[in-house]
Amino acid sequence: MKPRKLTATLMALLLALVTVLSACGGSEQTTAADAAQTTEAAKADATAAPETTPAPATEATTEAPETEATTEAPTAEATTEAPATETAAEPAPYDGTTMTVTDMTGREVTVRTPVERIVALSAADCEVLYAVGAGDLLVGRGEYCDYPPEVADKPSVQSGYETNIEQIIALEPQVLLMSTMAQTEEQIAALENAGIAVVVSDAHTIEEVYTSIGIIGTLTAHEEQAQTVIDGMKASLAELSEKATGDGTQTVYFEVSPLEYGLWTAGKNTFMNEVAELLGLKNAFEDVDGWGEISEEQVLERDPDYIVTITMYYGEGPTPEEEIASRPGWDAVKAVANGKILRLEHDELSRPAPRIADGAQLLFDLVYGNEAQ
Amino acid sequence: MKRSKRGFTPVLILILSAAALLTAALCVCLGSVNIPLSDTLSALFGGEGVSANTVNIIRSVRLPRVLCVAEVGAALSLCGAAMQGLLKNPLADGSTLGVSTGASLGAALSIAFGITLPGLPVSGTMAMASLFAFISLLIILALAYRLDHSLSTNTIILIGIIWSMFVSSILSLVVTFASDRLKQITFWTMGSLSGSSFENALILFVVLAAGSAVLLRLANELNAFAVGEDNARSIGVNVRRVRLTVLVTVSVLIGVCVSVGGSIAFVGLVTPHILRMITGPDHRILLPASLFGGAVFLMLADLAARMILRPLELNVGVVTSFVGAILFVYIYFKTRRAA
Repeated sequence: MKPRKLTATLMALLLALVTVLSACGGSEQTTAADAAQTTEAAKADATAAPETTPAPATEATTEAPETEATTEAPTAEATTEAPATETAAEPAPYDGTTMTVTDMTGREVTVRTPVERIVALSAADCEVLYAVGAGDLLVGRGEYCDYPPEVADKPSVQSGYETNIEQIIALEPQVLLMSTMAQTEEQIAALENAGIAVVVSDAHTIEEVYTSIGIIGTLTAHEEQAQTVIDGMKASLAELSEKATGDGTQTVYFEVSPLEYGLWTAGKNTFMNEVAELLGLKNAFEDVDGWGEISEEQVLERDPDYIVTITMYYGEGPTPEEEIASRPGWDAVKAVANGKILRLEHDELSRPAPRIADGAQLLFDLVYGNEAQ
Repeated sequence: MKRSKRGFTPVLILILSAAALLTAALCVCLGSVNIPLSDTLSALFGGEGVSANTVNIIRSVRLPRVLCVAEVGAALSLCGAAMQGLLKNPLADGSTLGVSTGASLGAALSIAFGITLPGLPVSGTMAMASLFAFISLLIILALAYRLDHSLSTNTIILIGIIWSMFVSSILSLVVTFASDRLKQITFWTMGSLSGSSFENALILFVVLAAGSAVLLRLANELNAFAVGEDNARSIGVNVRRVRLTVLVTVSVLIGVCVSVGGSIAFVGLVTPHILRMITGPDHRILLPASLFGGAVFLMLADLAARMILRPLELNVGVVTSFVGAILFVYIYFKTRRAA
């Protein structure tokens, strides 16, 4: 009996130890003391959000120098920088003002203003933030955010199916921007319990991109810049559409994944399709809904006039354009025979972001380039 | 039951090879794009009167693909039959033993880190895939021997599954680190033969010819193994040499198949089983029958993958796993009830 009792006690102790360890360890390195503090802070935050509590105070001051280091990007306005330093001295300067935005799932989200700390998970949202001049508010980004280049300096968090709530909470954002792709209700609830407003931006059409830019502009108090961006996009797309003389008979094939891994294309209900129609072209795979894996035979049969590939080039071997041209049996395809293959290197037409206009311009140049000059 | 097996042999092989040829013809004529038979024939022989793209679809896309599919099917099925005989284990197969997964890891590593052999661009992938297939087999068999000298079904399958999961986790890790280059992990896990070229078909043909020459000549020894290893030893079979030869050959075949088409499940398991019900357990008949039977099975599966959702395409592994699993359960139940 006695040794068994001892074993049981030891096991219980071990269990307790492991529990403590796994709560302290994790993706963010924190010491035990820190962890205790944060738990307290989180509790306080959850129960009495509006009131300032001493616990977050220590948190904010220890965090402050890091914040300043990361936001060294040149700021357009001094006002955005000023409150940040204020946060360091006087924690959570909550003066009771809030704003309510309707996000793209139709949820009404109440956000404490001014918004100074944003984490954006999708690459498109990062691009929009920079485009409206609010890039300095970004305190964390999804791992696949790569444009503009300076976004790489921001702390990276996992996104999509691997979204890690712990990492996001550790960055202490006021707002989390994300798309609806992989987040569960539980994840969103957990974030909201931690006092983070979750705003979903999920654009599937160019019109919805304008909406998303508008929402992000409102959130960051950069409405004017957002409107400028939207107007710029609208103007350049309208101009291209005006100049485009195609009558929808010429076809374009969008290659999303190369032959080596199975051909994938973008069908209807994608930005690529929308831009093709805007430019007086017809998507060769209009009958495919969204993105899909297609047969090589089908591409040859449909004999597209233009090919757009988004395959990355790693600087060795043939370029994606050369690879397409060198595929056995593709030489008679009109696009290959006429050398009308375009490579979009930076996701210009696959992201709901302002650069769709750039992608449209590149496609326009491929199709009408010579005639226009 | 045992009557007329001998006289049956040449006829059966003739029937099976005719079936393989017919299936191949069918697969060239049918596909994602509808091309009339007359156009198909003129595209194959001559090329007058049809558009250049039609000729290309038949000659450069379908023909090499059908050849590759037939060869991969034949190779995997032959490997399955040989391993089932050698290990006296009806569930042995590249996919159940984790050999295909091992080969996938080798291929993925070679692509991720750019490992190639001097001279030939694709050879690095194939060599690495074969090497990893062989290492996987060795590890699985060594572990199984340690636990259980008779190499019973359950032990081998259990270790195979554990190995498979272990290797898959490493594969996922490699894909995570080299995500840009290997983003299509489904290619390695489900298998696809789209984009096959005549070069692939040629390499496969050479390897398959060599591999089947080795394995078919060992049919008698495999028969002895199927009764039992002690039996084989007592009638004068060099047990070690035969076992090593079969394992090396099987690894090379599976490695090359995986580097061309990814790991395609169930082909090596189901076809030898079905054929064994027709031919009986004699490897002198079973091995050549598996060659043709595997080719037919995979060609039909690939045809289904190309046609069901056109213009979309399925991974052929989806079809083989779906059909294979159902067939397998049916066979399993039927043989169990009979016994």
